[in-house]
Amino acid sequence: MQRRQFIMLGLGAGVGLSLGLTLYPVLQSSTQQRSDAATLVLDALLPALLQGALPAEAAAQQAALRRSRDAVLQFLPFLPRRQQAELQQLFLLLQQRLGQLALLGHWLSLNEMPLQSRLQLLSSWRDSYLATLQQAYHGLRELLYGAYYGQPQHWPALKYQPLEFNPYV
Amino acid sequence: MYDPIAEGLTRGWRHIDASTLTTGQQFDTDVVIIGTGAGGGIAAELLTQAGFKVLMLEHGALYSSSDFRQQERWAYPQLYQDGAGRKTKDQAISILQGRTVGGSTTVNWTTSIRTPANTLQYWEQQFGLDFASSGALEPFLDLATGRLNISEWALTPNHNNGALQRGCQALGWQYTVIHRNVKGCANTGYCGMGCPLNAKQSMLVTTIPVALDGGATLISRVSARELVWRGNEIQELWAVPVDAQFQTDPRLKIRIRARHYVLAGGAINSPALLLRSKVPDPSGRLGKHTYLHPSVISGALFAEAVNGHQGAPQSIYSDQFVWPEAAKAGFKLEVPPLHPVLMASKLTGMAEAHADLMRQFNHLQVMIALLRDGFHPEAQGGAVQLDSDGEPQLDYPLTEYLWDGVRRAYLAMAELQFAAGAAAVLPVHDDAQMYRSWSQAKAAIAELPLQRYRATLASAHVMGGCNMSADPATGVVDSFGRHQQLKNLTVCDGSILPSSLGANPQLTIYALSWRICTELIKKLSV
Repeated sequence: MQRRQFIMLGLGAGVGLSLGLTLYPVLQSSTQQRSDAATLVLDALLPALLQGALPAEAAAQQAALRRSRDAVLQFLPFLPRRQQAELQQLFLLLQQRLGQLALLGHWLSLNEMPLQSRLQLLSSWRDSYLATLQQAYHGLRELLYGAYYGQPQHWPALKYQPLEFNPYV
Repeated sequence: MYDPIAEGLTRGWRHIDASTLTTGQQFDTDVVIIGTGAGGGIAAELLTQAGFKVLMLEHGALYSSSDFRQQERWAYPQLYQDGAGRKTKDQAISILQGRTVGGSTTVNWTTSIRTPANTLQYWEQQFGLDFASSGALEPFLDLATGRLNISEWALTPNHNNGALQRGCQALGWQYTVIHRNVKGCANTGYCGMGCPLNAKQSMLVTTIPVALDGGATLISRVSARELVWRGNEIQELWAVPVDAQFQTDPRLKIRIRARHYVLAGGAINSPALLLRSKVPDPSGRLGKHTYLHPSVISGALFAEAVNGHQGAPQSIYSDQFVWPEAAKAGFKLEVPPLHPVLMASKLTGMAEAHADLMRQFNHLQVMIALLRDGFHPEAQGGAVQLDSDGEPQLDYPLTEYLWDGVRRAYLAMAELQFAAGAAAVLPVHDDAQMYRSWSQAKAAIAELPLQRYRATLASAHVMGGCNMSADPATGVVDSFGRHQQLKNLTVCDGSILPSSLGANPQLTIYALSWRICTELIKKLSV
C-alpha cells in the first residue's frame, strides 16, 4: 500500500469512528466555526467531484464552484435537524482531519492537495466497511451533484432546456 | 394565467399561514383534518359538503400554479418532505413525499391505478377485510375516478415511456397504458414540480378549493405535535408553526378542540404523531409494517434522443413480473421523469465518468422496478421511530428475499432496454458498468454484490404503519379507518394500507378515504 493510500484510509476510519462515537465537535463549536467548516470542506470536495463537468475557463469555473457551494449551504436548513447535526459533525471532523492530511502529505494547504487525492478519499469512504462512511459518501455526493446540476448555468452541457412558466428569481 | 388558489383567496377563503402568527391560538371545530394529501383532501370536501365545520392543517405551504417554478432547486425544498432528502434510518433508500397543500398529490406523476384484485384478496385472507368478496371498494374507486377526471392517457407516450412499451412489445411482455388524473394536460412533463397549468387534478385544485368555498379553514405551515387523550377519547390537539425551512418553531402553541379528529398526514407522519401522543397500541402494530415499494433503477443509452423530461412522466407500465410465484418478490416496471438534479444525484460514479454520463442526459432512458413488499414473511416492512426531536425516521430492513427481487429487477430492466433498442445499459449500482449487450449485462448482473448503498434504491410510495384489519389484534384501525381504541379518531391516508399495493397508491387512497368519510358522516350526523 502506498503511503498516501494509507493516510487516506486512516483519515476515513478516523472520521467514521468519530461519527459513530460522539457529537462532541458540534456541541463545542460556534455557528461561525460550523459554517467555516462546511465552506472549507465543500470547497475542497466540489472541484474533485465535478471534474469533467466544470467549465474550462478559470473565472467561469470559480463561479460554478461558488454557486454550487452556496446552493448546498442554502439547502441544508431544509433537512431534518438530526441530519443537519450529522452533516455539521462531518464537516467539522473533515476540516480538522483534512488539515492534518495536508500537513502529512506535505501540502501547504488544502488547495494544493491534488484532486485525485480528494477523489481517492471519497472512493475510500464508498468502499469502506463502515456504514457511517458509506453514508457520508452517498450523502455528500447527492448534495453536491444536486447543487451543481440544479443551476441553469450548468445545463447547456446537458442540452436540457426546460419550459419556464414562472421565472425563477 | 388562471390561478384557482389566488382567486379563492381573493374571494375570502379562510387561510392562516401559521408562520405569521405572533400569539398562541385556540380553535374549536367539528372536525380537524391533519394533512391535506390524498386522504385529507377527500375528507375535507366530503365533510364540508355534509355541513360540518372543518379545519385543515398542513405542515407545508399553500403554493399555487403562480408560485410553482419549473426548477428542481425550487421545487424540492419548497414542495417535498425534507427537501426531497428524506431517507430511511440507515440512508439506504431515498423517499420522495410531498409536503405542501395537496400533499403528494400536488407533486406526483398522476398515475392512477385501481387496487389490484390480488392485493384485495391478500387483505381478505390475512386481515379479514372483505373488499375482494364484497366489492365494497369498487363504487368508491368509480367515484374518485369521476371526481378527478381519471382516464386513459390518449396521447403517444414520450420516448422514455415509449421504450418501455417497445421493449414489452418486442419481448411479448404485458403492458398497460396508464390512466391519469388530468384535465387539459399540455403534456409538458413538470408534474413533479407542481402543475403550472392546474391540469393535474390534485387535491390542491379540486377538493380543497371546494372545502374552502364551503367555509372550511386551512392552516398551512403548521406541525401537529400531540393528540391529548384520556380514556377512549381525544380531548385536544396541539400544534406549532414551522419556520421558512419548515422546521418546527415552538415559540407559540396552537390548540385545537374538535368533535372528531381525522388523521391524514401520510404513512410516516401519521404514525409519528400517534407515537408522540403515546396512544394505546395493544396490537403492537402502530408505526410498524411500513412499506415502500423499494425501487431499483436501470439507465440505458439510446442513439436517438429520449428527452425524458418532456411529456407525461408516466404513461406505460408493465405488470409482467408483479405476481410471480409466491416465494419471489414481484416488481412493477415503470419509468420516472428525467430532470438534472434527480438524475445527477441517483446515477452512480464520480468526476469524469459521472460528467460523461450527464453529457448524454437527453439520450438517457431510465426505468424503475417497484418491489411489491408486504406479502411475504421476509418483506414485512419497516418501523417508524422517533428521534430526539420527536421527528420520524423509518427503519427499513433489506432482506435476502428483497435482494433477490432487486437482482431479478436489474435483469428484467436490462433485457427490456436492449429489446427496445438501447445501445448500452447501466444498472444503477456502484459496481456496475455500461454494458453493450444483453448477454454481457446478464452475466455481470448475476455477479453484482447486492447490499445496501451499493445498489441505489428509492421510493415514492409510503404505505402502512396504521394498518386496517377486521381484528383489533392485527390492526390499528378497522376497515372504516376508525381507530380501534380512540372513538373520535379516524385515519384516512396511505398509512392504513395493510401491505403495499403492487400499484401506485393514489387512487386506492382516494377510494378508501371516500368510503371512510361516507361512514364518518353518517356517524357524526346522528
